[in-house]
Amino acid sequence: MADPHFGLERHDPEGFSLTAAVDSAPPDEPSLPVGEWLRKNLFSSPFNTVLTLVFTVVALAGLRGLLNFAFSEERNWDAVRVNLRLLFTQAYPEDQYIRVWVSVGIVVALSGLSLGLWARLSGVPVARVAMWSMTAGGLIALGVVLREPSAVSGPDGDPMRDAAGEVIRQSFGAAMGDRIWWWLAAAVLFGVGAGLWRGFEDERRRHTYVPTIPLVFGSLGVVVATLWLYRWGHYAFTGNEFVYEPDRTAALSTKLPWTVMWLLLMASWAAGRQGRGTPAEGRLKVLVNLAWLLSPFILFWVVLRDPAIDWAHVWSTDLPMAAGFVIGGGAVLYGLTRPGIGEVGRVIAVGLLAFAGFNWVAAFAGWYPMLQKARFGFLLLALAALLAPNFTGERAQRLRLVWGWAGAMTVVQYLVTMANTESTLNTPTSEFLGGFSVTLFVAVFTLIFSFPLGVLLALGRTSKLPIFRVLSTAYIEAMRGIPLITVLFFFANMLNLFLPQNMELGSVAAVTVGFSLFAAAYLAENVRGGLQAVGRSQYEASDAVGLTTVQRTMFIVLPQGLRVSIPPLVGQVISTFKETSLLAVIGIFDFLFLANRAIPSQSEFLGVKREGLLFVSIVYWIFAFSMSKYSQRLERRLGVGER
Amino acid sequence: MTAADTAGGAAGADTGAHARADMIVCEGVSKWFGDFQALDGITATIAEREVVVVLGPSGSGKSTWIRCINHLEHHQEGRIVVDGVELTNDLRNIEQIRSEVGMVFQQFNLFPHLTVLGNITLAPIWVRKKPRREAEAAARALLERVGIPEQAEKYPGQLSGGQQQRVAIARALAMDPRVMLFDEPTSALDPEMIKEVLDVMKGLARSGMTMMVVTHEMGFAREVADRVVFMEEGQIVETGTPEHFFTSPAEDRTKQFLSQIL
Ligand SMILES: Nc1ncnc2c1ncn2[C@@H]1O[C@H](COP(=O)(O)OP(=O)(O)OP(=O)(O)O)[C@@H](O)[C@H]1O
Ligand SMILES: [Mg+2]
Repeated sequence: MADPHFGLERHDPEGFSLTAAVDSAPPDEPSLPVGEWLRKNLFSSPFNTVLTLVFTVVALAGLRGLLNFAFSEERNWDAVRVNLRLLFTQAYPEDQYIRVWVSVGIVVALSGLSLGLWARLSGVPVARVAMWSMTAGGLIALGVVLREPSAVSGPDGDPMRDAAGEVIRQSFGAAMGDRIWWWLAAAVLFGVGAGLWRGFEDERRRHTYVPTIPLVFGSLGVVVATLWLYRWGHYAFTGNEFVYEPDRTAALSTKLPWTVMWLLLMASWAAGRQGRGTPAEGRLKVLVNLAWLLSPFILFWVVLRDPAIDWAHVWSTDLPMAAGFVIGGGAVLYGLTRPGIGEVGRVIAVGLLAFAGFNWVAAFAGWYPMLQKARFGFLLLALAALLAPNFTGERAQRLRLVWGWAGAMTVVQYLVTMANTESTLNTPTSEFLGGFSVTLFVAVFTLIFSFPLGVLLALGRTSKLPIFRVLSTAYIEAMRGIPLITVLFFFANMLNLFLPQNMELGSVAAVTVGFSLFAAAYLAENVRGGLQAVGRSQYEASDAVGLTTVQRTMFIVLPQGLRVSIPPLVGQVISTFKETSLLAVIGIFDFLFLANRAIPSQSEFLGVKREGLLFVSIVYWIFAFSMSKYSQRLERRLGVGER
Repeated sequence: MTAADTAGGAAGADTGAHARADMIVCEGVSKWFGDFQALDGITATIAEREVVVVLGPSGSGKSTWIRCINHLEHHQEGRIVVDGVELTNDLRNIEQIRSEVGMVFQQFNLFPHLTVLGNITLAPIWVRKKPRREAEAAARALLERVGIPEQAEKYPGQLSGGQQQRVAIARALAMDPRVMLFDEPTSALDPEMIKEVLDVMKGLARSGMTMMVVTHEMGFAREVADRVVFMEEGQIVETGTPEHFFTSPAEDRTKQFLSQIL
C-alpha cells in the first residue's frame, strides 16, 4: 500500500524539542548509506517511485527554466548592476552619501553588539556544514548541465542567428567545456564537503561543532576580500551618465565602506562579548535595546535628513518648551505617584485629559495656535497621569518613574523638533528616501507605530468595559474589512484633508500612517490570541495578591500573552514588509517601483524590466527568510527555562 | 434549619477562642452559579489566630466559600466581614481585603515569566509600596523560612511541585497577611512532597497565623486544626474540635463521609 506521507517524511534538523536540547541529546540514529536512504524514503513502493520520478522531472524542468531565464543572452543584467545605488537609495545626493554609510554603520554596530551580548551560538555541526557544501556543489553541477548551451556570439558580440532568426547555440560538449570554472567550483565545494564528511566518524560528525561566529565572519570576510581582488567591474549611474568599467575591481566607494562595515561588525561583536558576564551586562543590554528602539528615528530624521537647525528658534521656543514638559511634567507625576493620593490624583488626571483633549478640538476648529508638539506633550502627560495611581510607591520608585518620563520627553521633544526642521539635503523632490530605503522606512515605522496600537486594541477588545470592547471591535472589524490598497489610496490622497490646520504630512508619511492603522488591526487579533492563552489561574493569582487591573495587565498578562503571540507577530511583520511593495501602485518610488517603472524608462535600458524584478524578488526573499529564521530562534530561546 | 444548627455548632466550638477578636465573619452567605446553588446560607466565625480545616465531599462548595472570602467569587446574599472590613462591590474594600488575605492555590498559580524572587516581591513593591531592596530582603528571609533559600533566582518551571508550592506560600506571606487561605495546597503534589509543604503550614500555624485550610490531609487536621468544619451541598453540616469531629461526630452525613475517607 502507498505510504501516506508520499515518502517526503524527514527529520527537520532545526526542529529538536526544547527539553531534549536542554537535558539530553536524542539518541542518534545511525546515518544510512545513501543508497539505502533513497530506497527507504523515495522508492519504498511502486507508487512512491512514480511520484518521486514525476516530481523530480517537474523540479528539474523548473530549475532549467529559471536558469535559462536568468542567464539568457537576452538578459541585460547591466540594468541592475548600474542601478544598484538607485535601487537602494534612489536620488540620495552624492556629496552627502557618507550619511548613508554612517546609518548602515550604526545598524551594523548595533547588530554586532547584540550578537556579542545575547547570541548563544553553539556552532554548526560538521555534518551540517558538510551537507551544505556538498549540496551547493551538487546544485552548481546540476545547473551547469541543465542550462541550455550558450549562444555563439558574432563579431559584434551579439548572438549569431540562423536564417530563421533563431539564436545559434554551441554544441553541448563545447558548452560544458566553456563552463570549466563552474565545474571547478562545483568540484571544490563538493570535495570539501565530502572530505569533511569522510574525515569524521558518524558520532563525531554530529557532535563536533564549527563555531558559528568565525564561520559567519570568515565567510563575510571572503566576500569582502573578493571586492578587492576579483574583477567584479565598476558600474554606476551618476545622475545622467552610465559608467561601465568591466575590467577592474569594485570602486573604492564600494569596497572601502564594506570593508569598514566588516571590521566594525567584528569589533562591535568583540565589544559586546567583553561586556558579557560583567556586572554591567544588564545595564548594557538595556542600553543596546534602547539604541535599537531609537535608531530608526535618529537615522531617518537626523542622520539621513540633516536638518538645518535654527538655533534662534531652539533657544527661544524648543528648549524652554522641552524643559517645561520635562520638569513640569516630572513634578506633576512625582506628586501623582505619592501613596495615598487617592481621589485627588484621579481628579487631576481627568482634568489634564480634558485640557489635552480640548487642545485638539481647538486645533481642528482653529481657535488658538499652539505648537503641535505641545498638544502631543499634554496628551502624553495626561495619559501618564491617568496611569500614575497604579504606580505609587516609595521615593526611589517614584523618582525612577520621573526619570523615565524625563528621558522619554527629552527624546520625543528632540525628535519632533528635528522632524519639523527643514532638511538641507539637495534632493529633486521633497522626499529624501527612495528605493529600498523607503521600503525599510515604511516597514520599520509601521512596525513601531502599529505595535503599541495593536496591543491597546487587543486589550480593549478583551476588556470588561463595554465601551472599550465595542470601540476596539468596531475598529478592528472595519479595518479588516477594507482592502489594504484602498486604505493606502485613501491616506495618500486624503489624509491631509482630515488633519488640523498647519499640519501636513508628505505622501510617504501619510502612507505610513495608513499602513500602521491597517496593520494594527491585524496585529491586535494576533495579540488577542496570545492574551487569551493566559490562563484564568494567572488572573486569580494576581487578584489574590492585590494587584490592580492595570498592574495585572502590565506585569502579568501582557508579558505572558505577548510571548505566546511572537510567532504570529513575526509572520505579521514579514507580511507587512512584503506588502510595502504596494507603495509602487500608488506611485511612491519604492524598491519595486524603481525596478518596474523607473529603470525600464531610462534611455539605456528602455523596457528592461525582468532583471530588476528578479533582483527585487531575491532581495525581498532574503530579508523575509532571515526574519522567519530569526523568529524560530527567538521562539526557542524564549521557551527555555521560563515555562 | 441549617443556619440555626450551624450557628449553634459554631458557638459551641468557639469556647476555646472566645477571648480573641473575630477575623472572618460570614453571615448567611449564599451563592448561585446560574440556577445552581453552590453556597446555601453559610454562617461561621473564625477568630484571630485560629486554624480551621474545611472538609467535605467533592462539589460541596469548599472552594467556592474560601474564594468568596477574598472575592475571587462574589456572593449574592449574606455578609462577609474580614478583619472589620465588609466585602461589598466597592473596589477599595476589595483591594484592602485582598492585600490582607493571602491565598495558596491547588495548582500553585505562580507567575511563570518571573523568577522566584520576582514572584514574591511583585506585590509588596507595587501594592504595599515597599522599597525594592527591603522587599527582596524580606523575600529571601521568607524563602529561608519555607526552606528553599537557594532557589531565589530560578524560574517556577525549574522547581519541583513541592518547591513551587512553598514559593507560593512565601509569595502570599510576603504581603504580611492577617489571614491565609489554602485551597487543597497538597492535592497536586506527589506523596513525597506533601510533607515538606505541610511542615511549612504547621510552622505557620504555630506562629499564630489565622488560617482557613481546605484539605484532605486528615493527619494535618488532627494535629493542627483548632476546629474542623464539614460541608455538604453548600451548607455547613457540622463543626467541632478535631477530637470531637473524628471520634464522636453528631451527624449521620459526617459519619458517612468519615467512613469513606478514613
Ligand atoms: N464557575 C463555576 N460555574 C458553575 N458552577 C461552578 C463553578 N465553580 C463551581 N461550580 C459548582 O459549584 C459546586 C461547588 O464547587 P466547589 O469547587 O466549591 O467544590 P469543592 O467542594 O471545592 O469540590 P472539590 O473537592 O472537588 O474541589 C460544584 O458543583 C461545581 O460544579
Ligand atoms: Mg475545590
